[in-house]
Amino acid sequence: MLLKLSWRNIWRNKRRSLVVLGSVIVGIIAVLFMNGFMNGMLNQMLSNQISTSVSHIQIHKKGFNDNKTVQNYLPNPANVDNILRDNKDIKAFSKRVITFGLISSASNSSGVYINGIVPEEEKQVSIINRQIVEGEYFSGGKGEIVIGSKLAEKLDVTLGDKVVAMSNTPSGTIGSEVFRVVGIFKTFSSEFDKSFIYIPMQTVQEMLNIDDKIYEFAIVTKDYHKVEEVKNSINEELNQNYEVLSYKDLLPFLVYQIDLSKESMWIFNVIIELALIFGIINAMLMAVFERINEIGVLMSIGMKNIKIFTMILLEGLIIGIIGTAVGLGLGYLIMLPLQKVGLNLAIYTESLESFGVGAVIYPTVSIDDVIGILIAIPFISIVGAIYPAYKAIKLDPVYAIRYV
Amino acid sequence: MEILKTENLEKVYEDNGVPVHALKGINLTINKGDYLVIAGPSGSGKTTLLNLLGALDTPTKGKILFEGTDLAKKSRRELSEFRLQNLGFIFQAYNLIPVLTAIENIEFSMMLSGIPENERRERALSLMHELDIKELADKRPNEMSGGQQQRVAVARAIVNDPEVVLADEPTANLDSATGSVLLDLMEKMNKEKNITFIFSSHDKQVIDRAGILLKLKDGKIEK
Repeated sequence: MLLKLSWRNIWRNKRRSLVVLGSVIVGIIAVLFMNGFMNGMLNQMLSNQISTSVSHIQIHKKGFNDNKTVQNYLPNPANVDNILRDNKDIKAFSKRVITFGLISSASNSSGVYINGIVPEEEKQVSIINRQIVEGEYFSGGKGEIVIGSKLAEKLDVTLGDKVVAMSNTPSGTIGSEVFRVVGIFKTFSSEFDKSFIYIPMQTVQEMLNIDDKIYEFAIVTKDYHKVEEVKNSINEELNQNYEVLSYKDLLPFLVYQIDLSKESMWIFNVIIELALIFGIINAMLMAVFERINEIGVLMSIGMKNIKIFTMILLEGLIIGIIGTAVGLGLGYLIMLPLQKVGLNLAIYTESLESFGVGAVIYPTVSIDDVIGILIAIPFISIVGAIYPAYKAIKLDPVYAIRYV
Repeated sequence: MEILKTENLEKVYEDNGVPVHALKGINLTINKGDYLVIAGPSGSGKTTLLNLLGALDTPTKGKILFEGTDLAKKSRRELSEFRLQNLGFIFQAYNLIPVLTAIENIEFSMMLSGIPENERRERALSLMHELDIKELADKRPNEMSGGQQQRVAVARAIVNDPEVVLADEPTANLDSATGSVLLDLMEKMNKEKNITFIFSSHDKQVIDRAGILLKLKDGKIEK
């Protein structure tokens, strides 16, 4: 009956209860949207980095990640190749020759990361082949190069134009080669499009005069959540001459940025929840002050303070539960299409691309956010009702039953 | 059998820093089954005395003994339990819980006493039948007349089998015919169930029916 009484008390002033519910619902939608937007943006930043070049795991000669010189090629790559082929948790891997170099056209030149790749293998670990906006990926012809759109702009070249790539060889000489642009890619990151070029691996090996040496294995695991586990299992099979790094090791700043953003979202959530608490305190106080006489009657007929306190907390809890259910439902209805079609922020394309995000953000609502809301909102609704409930039980019954 | 007794009961209020002596040494003994009316002009201290007898207020001086136990020594929590188990209240403005139906209002104090739902529904219906208000069972207070509400309030007050029912100006908001019907009802309950009734009123028809009349003036019992 206490629950029935609390439920009916809420609806005795429908307008006020609906306003409080509205604020709870709007708060939940705001939290869902902000968290979803930030999650989506950060996940996109990370997954774009992973899918364009970083992959889940990389294997190098020890020290290569800190000092990417041509002398730091992988020892015994055939052994590594065998180990990776035997690992059931690996979806695909690709061999790479990576070095810094210079690319020049007739009108300009630019410093670049030269990526010597096996085109068919690279397709399995990165999305470069799917980001081609002009021309084609690789056809198997001689002297083919694929470059980014920003670089093409800078070099003022287009499909079929000639460019010269050059880099240091391990012996200290300069290796260079003439290439013809067969494909231009455009990813989510303008920085990437400006500084990465792709050439078939064998051509780069010939240019650098390094026989069949390679510098990197890029690996994609079957289960994204098992990256660290796979990394450790590979590490156990390789000796100390190698370094096995996950994307977390390779992108520490981005991982740190994601953690920081999650922390700041937590603060944003607390601010919204504090605002909700004060909204609930205000509404519940009004509800208590409106019912002083009635509370006096309840006290006089013998209702104990604990039950009066519980009754008011229940009113807060009911508001919290209804608000949570409706807020999550509406939030889900709003977020569902956004998750699929994304939020087009074309007017911010340039700045978003400089962060490696892309103009369309796909908000993602995590189960953690939903669980957080399911726990937090009913809880803060109870917290918001504590002070009004305390005020109610502190009423003097003689004063309360006389109150008009 | 003595049920309530006061000894040198005094109550002093502070009104804007000025002490107001509402009761000045009240000595009173009420026996089981009494039908007592406390009468007197406004400001004579009737309601103050009723509040003290109803354990809603504490005296400044003196004792209130209920079956020999001093109520002034009980904590707020104990007084709540005491009121629930021993007292019934009828108010001038009926004071039913507006969001509950008549039967739920009657059941409420039984719910507070922990009586199971089936039993309390049965008892409430039986009492409503006895008081001829069964047809009001599913009506909310705003759907009932003043007289009907006050009859429901009487049912709420007596349903828990209290020792004493305290009624503060119960007929003040009713016309004389309705008031008379209500008083008949309370007299009947007093006689049939031996419930002690204590009224505070200056309504002539309440005073005329008093078993014991206690006149108050300026906080003292008039001889």
